[in-house]
Amino acid sequence: MKDNYTTAEFVLIFRTNINRKKHVRSVSHLLDSRKEIIRWNVDLSDIDNVLRIEATHPDCTPVIQLVTQAGYACEELTD
Amino acid sequence: MRTRDINKEALIREKAIEIIVNDGFDGLSMHKLAKSAGVSVATIYIYFKDREDLIQQLYSEETKKMSDATLRNFDPESHFDEGLKVQWMNRMTYCLENPYSITFMEQLKHSPLVDRSTIDMRFLHAMSRFVHKAIERNEIVPLPVEIYWSIAFAPLYQLVKFHISKSSMPGRPPFIFDEPKINQTLELVLKALKP
Repeated sequence: MKDNYTTAEFVLIFRTNINRKKHVRSVSHLLDSRKEIIRWNVDLSDIDNVLRIEATHPDCTPVIQLVTQAGYACEELTD
Repeated sequence: MRTRDINKEALIREKAIEIIVNDGFDGLSMHKLAKSAGVSVATIYIYFKDREDLIQQLYSEETKKMSDATLRNFDPESHFDEGLKVQWMNRMTYCLENPYSITFMEQLKHSPLVDRSTIDMRFLHAMSRFVHKAIERNEIVPLPVEIYWSIAFAPLYQLVKFHISKSSMPGRPPFIFDEPKINQTLELVLKALKP
């Protein structure tokens, strides 16, 4: 099960306006090219269009920059 | 960094099932779920990749819980009459203790939202061994599995439904599925399956 992962992995959660499959495709090469991003996905089925990232470090700023530069809104979704 | 909390995760699962049962799949939004579980939307996404992943995980978890409960004290090698009684009691207990889970599984039965290929093989193997042994020993007639299931289990589930909804046929008092009624029904089912 998932609970067994003990890697030093950080889950970063962002609210975006990436709300179509083609928009997801347009940011995919940017996100895929980053070494610190292990995996990522966008939840198109919910209102926040959450971009969820599993990364090797907890810093949100580079992701926000990357997505904003691609022309989308992106802010960290905090508790 | 946020850490995993098993209790929080369990609460999110429980509330998600309640929302789906009460409001349907379209009624499940992450905001509604967060509010109901007393956590933030961000916290839900720590545990679940997206809405689809959440629903798939709920299905896998509930399937596993149901299989565990159904196989408790069940010996697939036992005589058909005894084995079916254990199955009936286990399944009925599970239904009565987990009414939300049952309705949820029912809703998912014909839904494209989940991938059922991950179904619990342990459960399938036990049930299939039980039936094939019984046919081999000439305790029941061989039947297409759909017909077998409909005779062996559909009466149980229908009567449990009457019992849970506290209603029955029009003009009848609430139906209580008690031990004598279970035995009475089981006897008829066993008779129907005898060679």
